[in-house]
Amino acid sequence: MKFIHFYKKILFLLFTILSFSSALIAQTIEGRVTDAHTGETLPGATVHLTQNGTSKYTSVGLNGTYRFKKIATGPYQIRVNYVGYAASKVFEGNLSAATELRIVNIALTDASTQMSEVKVTAQANKETDRNARGLEKSAPMVMNILSSNTIQLLPDVTVGNALQRVSGVTIQRSANGEGRYAIIRGMDQRYNSTLVNGIKIPSPDPSYRFVPMDIFPSEMLERLEVIKALTPGMEGDAIGGAMNLVMKSAPYHFTLSANASAGFSSLFSNGRLFSAFNSSPNMKSPAMINGNNYAAMPADFSNRAYTSQHSLNNPLSSTAGLTIGDRFLNNKLGVIISGSYQNIYRGSNSKQLTPNAQPSAIPLPNSPQFSDAYDRAYSTQTQRLGLHNKIDYVINDRNKISLYNLYIHQNEYESRITSDTLGLGLNSTNLSKQITLANRNTLTKQNIYNGTLHGEHIISDKFRLNWDGIYSIASRHMPDRTEFAYDANKSLNALGQVTTEIDNNTKLTHHWENNRDRDLSGYANFFYTPKIAGTDVEFALGGLYRHKLRDADYITYSLTGGKSTLFSNNFAAIPFAFNSAADGIGSNNPDLQNNYNVREDDNAEYLQVKFNPFPKLQVLGGVRIENTYMTYETQSPATVTQRSGTIIYSDFLPSIHLKYALTDKQNIRASYFASISRPGFGELVPYKVSGEYYDQVGNPLLKHITADNYDLRYELFPGGSDQILIGTFYKKIYNPIEYFVVRDGGPSSQVIKPQNDAGNATNYGAEVLATKFFGLIGFSVNYTYTHSRITTNKLLYVNDPAAGSIQTLVDETRPLQGQANHVGNASILFKSVKLGLDMQAAFVYTGERLTQVSPYANLDFYQHAYNQLDFSFEKTIGKKLSFYGKINNITNAASKIYLKFPHGSLDAKQQEFLGKQDIAAQTLVQSDYYKTSFLGGLRYKL
Amino acid sequence: MKRFISPIFCIIILAVLSSCQKWKGEHTDIYSYTPPAANPVSDAAPLSCSGGSTVVPVKGTMLSGKTYTVADGCDLVINPTDTLLMQPGVTLNMGLGSSIIALGTLVSNGSKDQPNYITVAGVTKNDIPGGLLPVNDPAYAGKWKGIIGGPTCNLMVLRWTHVEYAGLTEGKATSTIAGAGTGNQFSILFANYKGSFIMEDSWLYGGVDDPIRISAGKLAIFRSTFEKNGVSGGDCINMKGGTVGTLAYNLFIGTATNGQKASNKGQATGAPQTNIVMYNNTFISGGYRQVQSGRGGSVNFEEGAAGMYYNNVAVNCKYGYRVVGSPIADIAHLTYGNNYQYADSVSVANQFYPTGYITQPQPTDFPSITSTAKYLPASYSLGSIYDGIDVVQKSAPMFLNFPLPVTRPFAQYSAIGSFNFRLKPNSPLIGKGNTAIKPLITVPMDKIYGLADATPPGADLGAYQLNGTGNLH
Repeated sequence: MKFIHFYKKILFLLFTILSFSSALIAQTIEGRVTDAHTGETLPGATVHLTQNGTSKYTSVGLNGTYRFKKIATGPYQIRVNYVGYAASKVFEGNLSAATELRIVNIALTDASTQMSEVKVTAQANKETDRNARGLEKSAPMVMNILSSNTIQLLPDVTVGNALQRVSGVTIQRSANGEGRYAIIRGMDQRYNSTLVNGIKIPSPDPSYRFVPMDIFPSEMLERLEVIKALTPGMEGDAIGGAMNLVMKSAPYHFTLSANASAGFSSLFSNGRLFSAFNSSPNMKSPAMINGNNYAAMPADFSNRAYTSQHSLNNPLSSTAGLTIGDRFLNNKLGVIISGSYQNIYRGSNSKQLTPNAQPSAIPLPNSPQFSDAYDRAYSTQTQRLGLHNKIDYVINDRNKISLYNLYIHQNEYESRITSDTLGLGLNSTNLSKQITLANRNTLTKQNIYNGTLHGEHIISDKFRLNWDGIYSIASRHMPDRTEFAYDANKSLNALGQVTTEIDNNTKLTHHWENNRDRDLSGYANFFYTPKIAGTDVEFALGGLYRHKLRDADYITYSLTGGKSTLFSNNFAAIPFAFNSAADGIGSNNPDLQNNYNVREDDNAEYLQVKFNPFPKLQVLGGVRIENTYMTYETQSPATVTQRSGTIIYSDFLPSIHLKYALTDKQNIRASYFASISRPGFGELVPYKVSGEYYDQVGNPLLKHITADNYDLRYELFPGGSDQILIGTFYKKIYNPIEYFVVRDGGPSSQVIKPQNDAGNATNYGAEVLATKFFGLIGFSVNYTYTHSRITTNKLLYVNDPAAGSIQTLVDETRPLQGQANHVGNASILFKSVKLGLDMQAAFVYTGERLTQVSPYANLDFYQHAYNQLDFSFEKTIGKKLSFYGKINNITNAASKIYLKFPHGSLDAKQQEFLGKQDIAAQTLVQSDYYKTSFLGGLRYKL
Repeated sequence: MKRFISPIFCIIILAVLSSCQKWKGEHTDIYSYTPPAANPVSDAAPLSCSGGSTVVPVKGTMLSGKTYTVADGCDLVINPTDTLLMQPGVTLNMGLGSSIIALGTLVSNGSKDQPNYITVAGVTKNDIPGGLLPVNDPAYAGKWKGIIGGPTCNLMVLRWTHVEYAGLTEGKATSTIAGAGTGNQFSILFANYKGSFIMEDSWLYGGVDDPIRISAGKLAIFRSTFEKNGVSGGDCINMKGGTVGTLAYNLFIGTATNGQKASNKGQATGAPQTNIVMYNNTFISGGYRQVQSGRGGSVNFEEGAAGMYYNNVAVNCKYGYRVVGSPIADIAHLTYGNNYQYADSVSVANQFYPTGYITQPQPTDFPSITSTAKYLPASYSLGSIYDGIDVVQKSAPMFLNFPLPVTRPFAQYSAIGSFNFRLKPNSPLIGKGNTAIKPLITVPMDKIYGLADATPPGADLGAYQLNGTGNLH
């Protein structure tokens, strides 16, 4: 099946390539309008044609081209206007009778990129590159770009979901189906970094450095860059790639745009209601208010988050956005303010089987044994507020400064309703299975603030300087997560009626969890551009210093409901109390290791050179040194090993990027770079947190990951938005970190722990991207093949007829976690200026991938291949107003996770817990359904 | 009247005989030199911790007749290369929230005349049936954490030693030093499959969760007595993957769940498969404080465990001897027979062969499995429901002092108090034992640093032999 898919794609690709040819039409002026900086086409720009005092205008089509047909001979002038760009110069020409076709390609300069010179493109050195249009088209390194126009038309409202449209990117979803993390070329989120305007931002994540991408509303972006090869001037902390979110910047004239929409998810109908709740009034825990020695009493807690739980029938999602921008003081001062608000209701229905820590040796070696069968309904209301603002001021033509502010706030109200059937190994009729009911209501507040002061100075013809001063905060607060669980045994008679009910355990948990990062950093880059042997050479020297402080606290209060009161919606009647009064004291909290402080001081220096040894070849190379100093301290008692620690390392990262222009429209690129990936704070600190299905622990002995990366890419830009990219990559990864399910203390409990794999990993693959437009209709496909392998020791538990049960070690080779062999996107676009209608159907395919590594051979968890189909459209109503709609997950695709163990081989009692199975050679252990969601609204543009 | 004659007669005979022995005795007093202990532990002040650390390192010898105290909240740690030897007649008073962590060797060498105590000072027992509700009973309060044999503990011996009132949650500090689990509430934990855990002629009183958890280890538990073990759950001797050895002549009364449970769950690489030989153990009123249903009340063999159980006695236990089918015990290497059960109620008799499990009734079992048409019917298949009415209150065990049928709820019989489970000469248990089986001895045999006496299987069922051997308490 997978191969059929593959061949279909190849055929389609061939077809696309063969059809690159354009018919010629007499007396026509046409051309392509592009961003001078990125080479992206600019659909929607207005092209003015003036001939003999009369003006005509047309819009640039989706394919990036415009066309004036049936034009009179004689002189003409053409210029282009576009929001956010400086008006183009006036192109003058003369059409003779013999002229059938005149091609005028126009590159626009982004009004703001002059100010927002980002690190990644600093090497492109716009000032000097402005004359060299061939190089302007794209950056010196391998990258893929989604422009704001592309993003606007996508069915996605968050950056997380938009990322899956980029070649070589797959996304990892949160419990409600929202794309949260990007996996770039099979390298999972830890290998990738997130930049805003080229600046690395801290993460509100409790454990990791990677930033949840669903927190960013996509409409705030000017473009989204996925950079797959790092230059010395870039931070070396990315192996898969860096995602650079370039935010909108001030336009050249007054701009106002607004949009509002409403929608719903089809999950919340037909009896499956949305479960809503009001958050607890207790933003702080009793220990935070009264100190760690205070003995909390049951009366100190509010159960509002549980008692206020209520159902909503098909709640309405809404989004709104507003952008205002203008330039003042003779265009010297530019200001843009943009706000985005989203209130989205989503959810999922999840079923999961949890295997025991150790499989059974009977009937087959490593036979999984399931202890719990969870059935969970998630209802999530996400409120996102994004504000961004940029002020730039041109002091004179040699000095510019800008101030950028980004604030993002997200409230996520998640209600999780669980029923859990425990496997008791009983098949009798006089005792029923044990059922646990649990409701957990969680409010998670996340904030990101980034303020960047940026300056650019031209010191002389040959010297330039730019700098940034940055203050960032990322925080996450989980105030009073409230969980109520009731666990009972019911005895049934032969008719299935309940005869007796025994309360095993009634539990009420109040939990607070906070973490906050503050980054203070400075960047500086010097450029020296002498002419050596008649060639322009650019030397760049620079560095960064970052001082990061993180603090985290974590406390759980567990109350028990006694054993006497059975639960039948009589929550108020249950006499909750601490098991022992001492359990209410903050300093008795068993998770003291989760209260920690981290300080990290990083500095990096680089030297890079860029030159063209001959006109068609560009060489960019250099070295970067990254120094990391990280120290942590937890509140664990003095007798706890690993309670504090300091980790210091330095890396020397060389890189070289070659770009050879075969023709005007074709490039070949080759690059090598070395890079690193730093473990997350929560991974290094020996913390222990409870996860959805397993507890997770930290590991201070983790080494940071290093990698050698090689890239080769062929690029063809036949015209318009059409393009073909064919690339291949090879990565050698040293000390890769993977999450293992490991045993913890006793024989029954298992936890997830990050560990360095003993062996090195390799990851190689190929990428193909093709886009072709036929008038109103465009096709875009991309496909990535990735192959990664690592060999590790796994446990094999067998029952030997002679020796009895023994556990041995065997070598097992497998792909890296998160990596899918086959990843593809296909979309069909329709754009008619005449009808004022844009439509897009987008399909994403993610092949089977490894989600969780087991310490036992052949018991890794694999996510089955996943397909998703989305649709979006926009229709203009009059000149300034348009109506748009987005439909996600039309086919109700499910995320399913399997063990590669034939489920029929499990013993009979296990079969009772399996639920519906669909693949004979595998065992389905988790399925998540999200259903289709709809969004529709109006957009206004001035 | 008749029924009292023979016991009274026996007692008189015994009294006369023992008095005669006293009169007859030969008295000698010959000087013998014992070098003084090189490293005696001081009893001058409580063993206490300070400076933010909970650790009190200790090694050497605790001297006969002395009383030592561990301060509240401190962990008494025997480092990996050290030994703590408690001579006979030592009392070790554990402070509230304290623990003993044996990373090296711990030997408590009590004797019949001078037993050792590892206990809490100033607590009064109330062992009258129904005298205290479990919630008020200090036995279940978990005054101190317990004895933890860590992953480097090569030998732990408890001989003629009382261990009482343990089972408090280990917590972060203790569990990280011991390499155990934060939430553990075990009175005794042993977790080294290369090490030996030996308990002979000792007593374990009270507890919260599993009173003895053997995560892995070589094991010998002989002639010991277990009372009031586990507050609302916990298997009295809970053996996990990598445990090999013998349990014999032990008396369990009022265990929360099982008396003895063997499982191969969690077998580590390098560790052997769990293989436990159990014989001549007595279980009284087991399984009634376990609040979750279907958890067992006497013996369990589970998940890949091999071994055997013979000559055992279970009286009024919530569940009979149980072999678990999923995850399945290693039934190819599991044998059993000559096991006796007694029920005062039909609900107990209905679980002699617990419903839903795969215990194979044996022709050598008591009561006889072919005694009536109902017990067991011809159509009986493993784990199915049957009617045990015909074997209720049949062939009572004739204990020396334990009137049957009982007059109070089964759960109230949780301690020995004034009861005596030795056999009367007319007991049906006499002479029914299988003496052909062999103990599985994996621990060193030694008078001090090992197992002093591996009593072989006895002819009489249960822990007490009419000839005076077996459990000596």
